[in-house]
Formats: sequence, C-alpha cells, structure tokens
Amino acid sequence: MEVPAKLLDPKSKGKSVNWTPWVFITPHLLIFSIFFLVPILFGIYISFTNWDLIGKPEFVGLANYKELLFQEDSSFYTQFHNGLKNTFIFVILSVPFCIIIPLLLATALNAKPRFHKIYQSIFYLPTLFSISAVVIIWTLMFNVNQGPINHLLGQSILWTGSQPYAWAAIVIVTVWWGIGGNMIIYQAALNGIPKDYYEAASIDGANGFQKFFKITLPSIRGQILYTVVITTIAQFNIYGQPLMLTGGGPANSTRVLLMDIQQNAFGSGQSIAGIASAMAILLGVCIMIVSFIQFLFLRNKE
Amino acid sequence: MKKLSLVIMSIILTFTLSACGSNSSDSSSGSSSNSSKEIVFWNPFTGPDGKNMQKMVDEYNKTNPEYKVKNISLKEGDMYKKIQTVVYSGKNVPDLMIVHAERIKQYVDNDMLTSYDDYLSDFPEIKEENYMPEAWKIGDIDGSRYSLPLDIHSFVMYYNKDLVNKYAPGALDDNIVTFDEIKAAGEKAQKDKITTLGVTWVKPNFLSLYAQNDGKLTENGTDPTINNDQAKAAFQTWIDLYKSRITNKDGEDPAQLFLQKKLIFYPEGIWMNNNLKDAKFEYGLTNAPQLTDDKSQMINWSSSHQFVMFKSKDRSDEKAKGVVEFIDWIRDNSLEWAKAGQNPASLKILEDPEYKKMAQSFLLKDPEEQASLKIFDYKYNGYVSEELDAKGLDIIFGKIPLDKGLADIQKTLEDKIAKDSSNE
Repeated sequence: MEVPAKLLDPKSKGKSVNWTPWVFITPHLLIFSIFFLVPILFGIYISFTNWDLIGKPEFVGLANYKELLFQEDSSFYTQFHNGLKNTFIFVILSVPFCIIIPLLLATALNAKPRFHKIYQSIFYLPTLFSISAVVIIWTLMFNVNQGPINHLLGQSILWTGSQPYAWAAIVIVTVWWGIGGNMIIYQAALNGIPKDYYEAASIDGANGFQKFFKITLPSIRGQILYTVVITTIAQFNIYGQPLMLTGGGPANSTRVLLMDIQQNAFGSGQSIAGIASAMAILLGVCIMIVSFIQFLFLRNKE
Repeated sequence: MKKLSLVIMSIILTFTLSACGSNSSDSSSGSSSNSSKEIVFWNPFTGPDGKNMQKMVDEYNKTNPEYKVKNISLKEGDMYKKIQTVVYSGKNVPDLMIVHAERIKQYVDNDMLTSYDDYLSDFPEIKEENYMPEAWKIGDIDGSRYSLPLDIHSFVMYYNKDLVNKYAPGALDDNIVTFDEIKAAGEKAQKDKITTLGVTWVKPNFLSLYAQNDGKLTENGTDPTINNDQAKAAFQTWIDLYKSRITNKDGEDPAQLFLQKKLIFYPEGIWMNNNLKDAKFEYGLTNAPQLTDDKSQMINWSSSHQFVMFKSKDRSDEKAKGVVEFIDWIRDNSLEWAKAGQNPASLKILEDPEYKKMAQSFLLKDPEEQASLKIFDYKYNGYVSEELDAKGLDIIFGKIPLDKGLADIQKTLEDKIAKDSSNE
C-alpha cells in the first residue's frame, strides 16, 4: 500500500507535527481532564465558599482556611488538627512496614526456594480482596472474647477499643492487605539485577548482608523511590480501615482526616462542602510536600 | 499506512468511550418518565423488608391503575447522597420517595419538596383521623402538607423470658421495665455471669432517656440544647450500669449474647424482630427501659418513613394524583408492611386480626402506648445523630469524661449549624 508522500516528505519534516505520541495519550488525557482535573478545580473553587450542595454557593474567600488553620476555638479546627495528626501517625507507622516487609519477602522469593511460586501467590492474595471483606475478617480475628488472636495470646486485649492496640490493629490489617502490590514490583526489580555483581562480590569475600546493602538496594533505588512515594500517598488517603475497624475510636484517637472530610461533605445532616473541600485541599498540599521531600532524599544524585 | 490506522483506531476508541460514558450515566439514575405512565419510586428498603415493599407495589400494579409504580430500592446512604445531586441538576428526579421523618424539615427549608395540598381533595380518606397522630403531624409544616406517613418504627426492648422469670420475676407484669428493676436483676444475674442490659445503638437509647428526664433537643427549633443536667442524668444512668457490670463489657456484642441466652434485656428496634426468628428460646417485646412505671410518662424513641415528592418539572398534576392514589391504596393495604416487622401509620391496620397477633402491635393498640411514641424531628437531627454515634459509646464506656463529651457535642453542633446560611 502506498504511503501518502506528504507524511514522508523530508522537506516538511521541520513543520509537520509528529502525531503519534498524541494519538496514544489523547484518550487518557480526555479521561483525566473530565474525571480528575475538572473536579479538582471545582473542589478548589468550593473551598472558597460556604455551600450546602443545594442552594447557591456563598463566596467567603479564605475564611475556611483561616478557620481550619488558626481559629483554635472552632470545632472544625479541632477536627482538622486531630484528623491530620492521626493521618500522619498512621503514615509514619505503616509506610516503613509496607516497604520493608514486601522487600524482605521479595528478596527471599528471589532466592527461588522450592514452591516459591505458591508462596508468591499466597502473599499476593490479600491484595485481591476488597477492604470491606478484609476488615470484616480481621474484626472477627480481633474479637475480645472469641477471636483467635486473643485465644493464641491467652489475653483479653480490646484490640479495636483501646490504645496502643487500636493503632496496632489498623497497621496490621493495612500491611497484610498491601504486601502484594509492592512485593511484585520489588520482585521484578530484583530479577533485573545482573548476577555477575553477586559473583564478583562473592569472589571478593562479601557476605549476605554486605551483598544486600551494597549491591541489591542501590540497584533497585529507583523502584524503592517509586514505591515509597506511592505508598505514602496511598496511606495518606486512609479511610476504610479506621472507619470500619475502630470507628475512629477510642476517643477519636484513630479518627483520620478523610473521615471528617467525608462526614462534613456527605453526612446525615446538611452538607458543609466548603469546609470539607478546604480540608481536602490542605491534605493534598501536605501529600505534595511530603512526596517532594521524599524525591529530594531518594533520587539518584547523578 | 500504520500511522493512518493508528489515528483511525484512537478516534474510534475515543468515541466508544464517550458513548459508553453517556449510556451508563443514563441507565444508572433511573429512567426518566416525563412521557411514560410510570411512577418512579425510590426507597431505602434494601434489607429483608425490601421484599415486602416489592410485594405491595406488585399488588398495587395488579389493580391496573392509570400510573403504575416502578419500585427502586437503594442503599440508604447512597439514596440520600443521590437525591441531593439529582435535585441540584433537576434531571431524573424520582416521582415519589420515602425519607425518614427527621429530614423533612430541612428539605422544606431548602425548598426541595412539592406539597400535597393541591392533590388531596380527591382522596378524602387521607386525613388526620385515619393516621397515627405522631406520624401524621410530621408532614404538616408552615400550614402545608409535605409528607404522608407510611409507618412509625420504634426502638423497644427484647427480653429472654426464662432469664426474666429467674432474675426479674414480675418485672413484665405491667409491661414496663424500669431502670430500678434492671439494677435489681443485675445484682443477682452478675453472680451467674449473665449480662442484664445490652449497650446497643446509643442514639435512640440516649434520646429516649433524655426525653424521659424532660430534656429537649432545642427550645427555639434552631439552636441545640444538649449540654445540660438532663443529658448528664441520661448518660450517667448508663455509665453507672456499665460500671456496676450490669451491662455487657466494652467489645462484647449484645446481639450475640442475647442469642447465646446470656443477656436478659436487649434494647433494639422493632425492625430487628425478623433477625431473631431463629432464636432457640422464647423471647418477648416490651417498651424501652423507663425511669418510672407510670404509663403516662413512657417514651419510646421512634422514627417514621414518610412519602415525599421532590420538586420535578417532569411530574404532571395527573401523575401527582397517581402518586396520591398509590399512597391511598397503601393506607388500605398495610398488612404486608406489618409482616416486615413495621408498625403501619394507617390506623386501618388496627382492624386486622392478623396484625393484632404480631409482637409490635402492642405499641399501637393502646392509646397510652401510642402516646409514648416520640419522633425527634429537630431540624438538625442529622448532626445530633452523627455526634451521638461518634462519642456516645466512648462516653458510656468511660473513654471520654461525661462533662467534656457533652461540651464537645454541644460545641460541634453549634459550629456546624452556624454554617447554615439560611439561618442568617
């Protein structure tokens, strides 16, 4: 079939646009604009208003932000600070486990022991369940009188109703659920490390630990950076686990910011969308700052 | 050639995606019925009672009315979120909807409902005398009728008959169990490791006792009043019972304890009766726990499902009359709804011998019992519910000090209500 001469004309190379990349990204760009960009811009607009989602929005400028950040006697200020603090606590507690445990599992699987394919499937399985199913199962596990965990430990720990057990329960559930995702990425990364590096290190007399820290980790630095940033962002958005496992308790100590955002915007009473949007924007800004800091520390300084 | 086919493929892909998008959004929000003879009816009955409602709708449609009813049950949380966006956009507004009584004042204040005034003249039997007064008066706002009641459902108390005979003999003779009787039973039952009172849903438990203590959610209809002695007294009763180990412990499930025959008194709604049908022991239904055995002072927290019509330009006057015709038929045919465990608001049910044998009928048969059913339709009831659900159990189980808890609840309510610009 003859290719139209126009497309191959070397003379027009400088002026003609290369359409190929556009063809690939246009569908995604469209979907992104409609379902992400426009709602985000709309959300930013709402955060500058006082609106109940029904009547006309009332423009209030920076009043919502001022109330959330500075007005100490407002219950929204208390909600925001308590919610943000609890979200940060959760991120700090869960992200290290969500990185280290999958990494260790991937390293172990990379040694390709017997049945490693079966172990791989078992470790990946929890990721496939929905969060609601996961929490139902773990609520039964953590039951104070009839749960197997208390039975094994011979204790009567009120896992979902007292601290520090409530945080422990939430972190355990989160890590169990999320192991698979990061593990797969690390496995692929480990597969890509040339075996000669390890052979050369063995000849030089390096032991397992040295090989791990001097060869393995630096080689998969890019993937570690990626998973750390993505996992952090995901954990900042935590909602289901505290909502269904502890209800935000005891005494609001596990109440994360997303729960307040959801309740203010779509609660049983009239919607307070302006405050909810402002909370969401501030949460987004926090996530961006944390991600940026992580990039600075973990990027390849080449 | 490759580039051309690539361009063609992505154009087709884009069009397919946008076509998919518009198709699914239409089919998920219920059919638009501007020219069809169909009443789109939204309700939150996705549980077992959904089957009873479907049966009633099918029976009505069999009578060949001019406008048939299309029954759409949505999960309660989704339904209330959806109606907001649907009314805001003005498209695909349902012709008829069931809402809880406490939400109606706010819908009226936001000008979202169509009143029934113009359509009731053809239906003389839809009148105050034919309905349960507490449920009927909900729809009367600013001199117009905005809702018609389907039922009135109350939070009462189930009891294990054997355990009552053992630890609280005679307590049920007057069909009122007082907190004193519960305490007396508790002191005996503890020794045998039997729990006397279950700490269940705090909101109705608290509000009933609050009202028994003469507490009100609001004096002027707008500003909340909850940080006061009456609320403290109500919470303190439960706190004391918890501390004396008369209630279940934190983390124990009263429902499980009741089914395992380890709980004497189990406060729950009449709507839960069908969940207890498999119990391997004899149980009964009585009033919620009271402060005194004086029948005229009884209070049972109740809510009510009400029929409302949200403003819609697609609903003609003729169709609105069709809606009221359906509601009138329900007034005459509520037995199926009673079988779901509900108490129909239409007093016609009292003539039905089958209904009189149902456990929940004790609340309607006697005028003093009827008078005890109280619907807490304070305009900002939604915020109150959220606060009680968030902090109630923690207050009872001692994780939040009572004074601080009530002060927090009061402050949060005031701050949220201050955001309602319609109050200025």
